Amino acid sequence: MPKIQFKITLCDAPSCIHKHSKQIRQALDKELEKQGLKEKVSIHLSGCLGMCAKGPIMIVNPGYVMYGNLTENDVPEIVQAHLKHNKPVARLVIGEDHLYNRFFRIFGDVDFFGKQMRIALRNCGIIDPENIDDYLSLRGYEALAKALTEMTPEQVVAEIKKSGLRGRGGAGFPTGMKWEFTAKQPGPEKYVICNADEGDPGAFMDRSAIEGDPHTVIEGMIIGGYAIGASKGIIYIRAEYPLAIKRLEKAIAAARENGFLGTNILGSNFSYDIEIRLGAGAFVCGEETALIHSIEGSRGMPRPRPPFPSVSGLFGKPTLINNVETWANIPVILLDGGAWFAGIGTATSKGTKVFALAGKVRNTGLVEVPMGTTLREIVFDIGGGIPNDRKFKAIQTGGPSGGCLPEQYLDTPIDYESLAKAGSIMGSGGMIVIDEDSCMVNLARFFIEFTQDESCGKCTPCREGTKRMLEILTRITEGKGQPGDIEKLERLGTMIKKSSLCGLGQSAPNPVLSTIKNFREEYEEHIYQKKCRAGVCSSLLSYTINDNCVGCGACKRVCPVDAIEGTRKEKHRIDQNKCIKCGQCYQTCKFSAITRA
Amino acid sequence: MEKLITIYINGREYKVEPNQTIMQAADKLGFHIPRLCYHPKLSIEGACRVCIVEVEGAKSYVASCAYPVNEGMKIHTNTQELRRARRDIVELLVDNHPMDCHTCERDGNCELQRLAASMGIRARHFEGERKQYGVDVSGDSVIRNPDKCILCGRCVRMCSEIQQVHNLTQAHRGFNTVVMPAYNMPMAESVCTACGQCINVCPTAAFLEKNYTQDLFEKLNDPNLIKVAQFAPSVRAAIGEAFGLEPGSNMEGQLVAALRKLGFDYVFDTQFSADLTIMEEATEFLERVQNKGKLPMITSCSSAWMKCLEQFYPDLIDNVSTCKSPMSMQSAVTKTYFAQKLGVDPKKILSVAAMCCTAKKYEAARPELNVEGMRATDIVVTTREIAWMIKSAGIDFLNLKPEEQDHPLGMSSGAGVIFGTTGGVMEAAIRTAYELYTGQTLVDIEVEDLRGLKGVKEGKVLMDGQEIRVAVAHGLGNACKLLDTVRKDPGRYHFIEIMGCPGGCVGGGGQPYAGVNSIPLDEGALRKRAQALYDEDRSKTIRRSHDNPDIQKLYKEFLQRPGSHVAHELLHTHYKQKFPKGIVPKSSLQ
Amino acid sequence: MDIIKRKRAQAVARIISKGYLSTKRVYVGMATCEIAAGSKEVMDIFRQAIANGLTDVYLSQKGCAGRCNLEPTVEVVEEGKIPYKYGKVTPQRAKDIIEKHLKKGEVIREWLI
Repeated sequence: MPKIQFKITLCDAPSCIHKHSKQIRQALDKELEKQGLKEKVSIHLSGCLGMCAKGPIMIVNPGYVMYGNLTENDVPEIVQAHLKHNKPVARLVIGEDHLYNRFFRIFGDVDFFGKQMRIALRNCGIIDPENIDDYLSLRGYEALAKALTEMTPEQVVAEIKKSGLRGRGGAGFPTGMKWEFTAKQPGPEKYVICNADEGDPGAFMDRSAIEGDPHTVIEGMIIGGYAIGASKGIIYIRAEYPLAIKRLEKAIAAARENGFLGTNILGSNFSYDIEIRLGAGAFVCGEETALIHSIEGSRGMPRPRPPFPSVSGLFGKPTLINNVETWANIPVILLDGGAWFAGIGTATSKGTKVFALAGKVRNTGLVEVPMGTTLREIVFDIGGGIPNDRKFKAIQTGGPSGGCLPEQYLDTPIDYESLAKAGSIMGSGGMIVIDEDSCMVNLARFFIEFTQDESCGKCTPCREGTKRMLEILTRITEGKGQPGDIEKLERLGTMIKKSSLCGLGQSAPNPVLSTIKNFREEYEEHIYQKKCRAGVCSSLLSYTINDNCVGCGACKRVCPVDAIEGTRKEKHRIDQNKCIKCGQCYQTCKFSAITRA
Repeated sequence: MEKLITIYINGREYKVEPNQTIMQAADKLGFHIPRLCYHPKLSIEGACRVCIVEVEGAKSYVASCAYPVNEGMKIHTNTQELRRARRDIVELLVDNHPMDCHTCERDGNCELQRLAASMGIRARHFEGERKQYGVDVSGDSVIRNPDKCILCGRCVRMCSEIQQVHNLTQAHRGFNTVVMPAYNMPMAESVCTACGQCINVCPTAAFLEKNYTQDLFEKLNDPNLIKVAQFAPSVRAAIGEAFGLEPGSNMEGQLVAALRKLGFDYVFDTQFSADLTIMEEATEFLERVQNKGKLPMITSCSSAWMKCLEQFYPDLIDNVSTCKSPMSMQSAVTKTYFAQKLGVDPKKILSVAAMCCTAKKYEAARPELNVEGMRATDIVVTTREIAWMIKSAGIDFLNLKPEEQDHPLGMSSGAGVIFGTTGGVMEAAIRTAYELYTGQTLVDIEVEDLRGLKGVKEGKVLMDGQEIRVAVAHGLGNACKLLDTVRKDPGRYHFIEIMGCPGGCVGGGGQPYAGVNSIPLDEGALRKRAQALYDEDRSKTIRRSHDNPDIQKLYKEFLQRPGSHVAHELLHTHYKQKFPKGIVPKSSLQ
Repeated sequence: MDIIKRKRAQAVARIISKGYLSTKRVYVGMATCEIAAGSKEVMDIFRQAIANGLTDVYLSQKGCAGRCNLEPTVEVVEEGKIPYKYGKVTPQRAKDIIEKHLKKGEVIREWLI
């Protein structure tokens, strides 16, 4: 049996049929017969490909060449040129073959992916990340070739500027401007850094992006190096990501083998190489100046800016530092154009953003949505809503330094400014859904505990201030809150936000300040009524035994502090002075005889 | 000059030079922005956030020590909101600091105290847990008390940037951040060179010298002991500051009188043995020159430098002079020559040194410096300690009638005086070596090239047609720079002077703390202290060590001649490679 | 530009030579999250099946697509059809997918995402 060499997918949906796709099928059969290619090409029909305006649509694989606006007369040319001589017919290829389109070909998972738009993650879950051929087959390194052969570094920078891309690490600084600053710095020695030190608890965007498609990050970094005139790139990744590191190493080696890294890349006179540096997992090393210190071999502590890394960065040289997701967008922008990219998203925030959706939501996972998608769409459409029929309470964006937004903010469109205005941040893309079973005070306490733990200890407000905030929050959750504590938290929080040295400190109070703003009544209940409405703060609970008690003694046996007394077959009682509120009795009782309040 | 730019501070317009920080501009305009971690000699840390100011348009406050001025910048230094933020920041520091000011050595001389007072902290709003690590008293010289540390990082930067010892660093994170030697080694086992510069720059009492004042008071009251004092050249140039005098006030006579009032039976002078050191060192140098010995020869007076050598430059040990430091020479002759003269058992002599230095405490404890099985120097106290003792004993220091040192170990030449400042040893050595080598008296004895605060200084002397190239470095960081040159180009110099502290001994780790309106290691103060010594040199009729009649007498009566067997026995020593924790012998790496 | 086009053609040829144009392509998710959920074992089942003579199937790994709560995931792609995407695949389910879907063309609907 002769081997199949091409697979053709023809759109077989009503719109294309209306535009004579059936006739094209017939013409195709006829022409293949004529050219003796019948055995080498297989033809398949598909449902709507969503490009009805350009129908009829035909896709030729391998290569995913998409033809549109076809007529019967075009068929012989395609068969002759493409199927016989493997030369796609350029005039018939439709321009809307954006890189991100490929994603949906593979994923029919409309519930989850329908509202998504995958640019940075376009290859994640599609290609074999350890095989450079897979990446190459999907126009991999074409953007690099385009930059090197058809564009000057200035043009590359201009294209990135045109795209309106902003740093995806959290602060949202315009990427093109950053590139321009760095490119304008004099001197032959410059560095490119990929910040892959993802540290938010529960966030895994960067890890997944690298594990799923390491080459796109590498390609982005090479383009960045070309644009600013650097010859060395460094990927700073935490050692806790062994698989991502392994794949990066493999990808770098493959890129070197294929001449995408090394001297005279693709025959140009541009030389560039990438090395990997492992971080030890300090959250603060995601801050760019701390990260640079860490690469230099010093303790990872931020320093005041200016000078910015673009002027004086790694080893005092101009340094272009972007995060994984930012780099992953670069090849797409160059291939599909800055103008196209700028057409996605909102007025101030262009393109898409990847989020790690977690918490009390049905579909947890990684989502990439166009800027301007609302929080509601993410939580309820993509995320599938809250499980177990619980009520939505808040959404926390931006990792441990983000804010908690209650229901009235659910229609906030996702972009840097809107989130900031609502009292949260974009951050690097953590998104935690909170339902009514969560206590906002306890949640704020959890995040401030994290930032206090991860504070580098350099500046006073962050080191000492978050500690005091943690102490106040802890005593509130323990039922020892005092009048004035909320005001103290606000006073400290505002000061820390305005006075800290780096972004970690400047955003550390966000979870506290936003929960005070939006859920002040919960704080007040904790302090004045010693009550936790979510039943989370165990010190504030009291367990009592009600009339359902049959005197079985099960609770008495499990109580670790012997706080329960009572004779068999009679109603038991709990000594509140002894009770440590562990909840063992509550869980053990089979008769709903223990009341938790 | 560059074009001036316009900035606005608190609503008023000012023309200032560009390319400077807000703090620098404000200082010149008479706005003293409060500050803590900032030090002009150290890199910008931006850590304490005390110097924050509001810049219109910036989303947060900026650290004025780090932020550059821009055209049209509108700065506010004293808004109510800003004042409150600063106050809260300082309160946070105070909240995590022991409340033991009355019993603290730096009470009344503490930057945190002054800062808290100027912020108007009258109540504590945020009190909570306080750090509790305990004090590290393992070292002979420097004790570390992390409980009092407010993590300004000055010591860390001093230790790494100026001294290049890199002993101190911040460790751990968040509230648990603490400054410590690598692996939390005790100071005694760490690479600490005992220079004490961390003490000088510490705003609180997180670093202090090991205090021997109580011990000394006890011994001074022991009638069975013969109490003998010596004091270093730069002590006299700086001790006045501890009593409110301007830097550079020479208090030699008052100090002699005060030491006697404290109970010392004999007050000698380290300057005497500075002359003695020159006799030995110049002789050793000429011997190396004439017999093609190991060159360049490097001086060995500074104890911090000696530890640095043993740890970091063991390959240069043979280049270093075998001479003991002046302090140890003085103690050695005190317990031998002087004891014989008195006809007493040297064990009955209490040899005390008042030094500008903390590392001398470490040096005094080195067993290889023992004389006849006993410690040569029994107790070393710093300038700060001796000043405190004088105050504590109720001695009216400023109004004392100056007195003179005792013979036979108290008289010095001008050459011995200038030992206290960088370049002084070299200048003194040249004065004597020239004459020993050529047989002629050097006329122009003031070597300007070797004076001043430049990090590494070079000079040349012609001796009978032979060019002797010399170099001087002060501060261990500068020393490292110079020694790295020597490693690469061993023939470049003949003779090198190295002092461990910035400015030499005048900037020693044991000198008085900076006062209310001054900063630690202020260059102006260092220059003035040095000038006091140069002035004293100039005022002396005898300015060359070999002309000191007491030195001549000592050789005649006891040591025979420079470099003699007796001299070697008492005045010379040896050094060997050291491997403190964290330094791995090269051989074990293979 | 020509270099990259040539490289792509070569890459495509290499992929094809590995059997990309087989009737069915099977992708197993192999990111950290997938591996943690047990995808290595699932991958081994498919590898074994191919070693034991399962033909006309192209097997490859892929990164995480973001469906974290349903991992490990396995996709079966047939040209022109919406891919079949199985969630929470256990080694046993993998065996069933091989037996029913790959060999007999019976899609196991209840396991699809």
